Amino acid sequence: MDNCVFCKIVDGTVPAEKLYEDDVVVAFRDARPAAPIHVLIVPRKHLPTFNDIPEGENLLEHMGLVARKIARELGVADSGYRFFINVNRGGGQVVFHLHAHVVAGNDVGTALIKVAVAVAVVWRKLVSLVRGGR
Amino acid sequence: MSDAVADCVFCKIVEGKIPALMVYEDERAVGFWDANPVAALHILVVPRKHIPTLNDVGPDDDILAHMGRVAVKIAEQFRVARSGYRVFVNVNRGGGQVVFHLHLHVISKTNPGKS
Repeated sequence: MDNCVFCKIVDGTVPAEKLYEDDVVVAFRDARPAAPIHVLIVPRKHLPTFNDIPEGENLLEHMGLVARKIARELGVADSGYRFFINVNRGGGQVVFHLHAHVVAGNDVGTALIKVAVAVAVVWRKLVSLVRGGR
Repeated sequence: MSDAVADCVFCKIVEGKIPALMVYEDERAVGFWDANPVAALHILVVPRKHIPTLNDVGPDDDILAHMGRVAVKIAEQFRVARSGYRVFVNVNRGGGQVVFHLHLHVISKTNPGKS
């Protein structure tokens, strides 16, 4: 497809940080990550949506196993990750070239922010106590 | 099923020992309403075989592609295939997995058409 950004990433005319490639799919980091780890797995063949996988093709099996491989390589297979596909507008699909998201690390990010906020609160209390004590 | 795991709630649903609102069944997978739906449509597609997580799918299981085809059928059955839906697998605790029997969520915000 001439105007499909994922087709252009697959054929290399649009740059992306590729993590994995084989004969069937290409995986690269999402340009606008929603979590510390956010990878897209895209079939080389242009299929608009999940509904369009031809009968008898085991594409989802392959995409799922690639997701697992990437999760292992990024060290989140055991801690946890999410594998999802948005289908059509109401499902949140924006680019109409089938893709699976692999997302992980959001919980770690949230935990870090909570720790940072807690440290800041305690620090402010300490500062006000010290100042109040003078 | 001979490979059912004793304390697995999804094995029990597959075997019919725990009730669930079934919407799809075949020889390899079942589809039923999530007991605590997070959307207007929230179906779980579960393999009959007990596989704990996506990490444990064997090379010969060939189950994910089948679960995907079932998800599309369910989306068509509830008339959300065109309007839109999401399919997802949570893997392990940090990925939000609660029941350790592989399952694919099919959710849609739009109202289900028919059951």
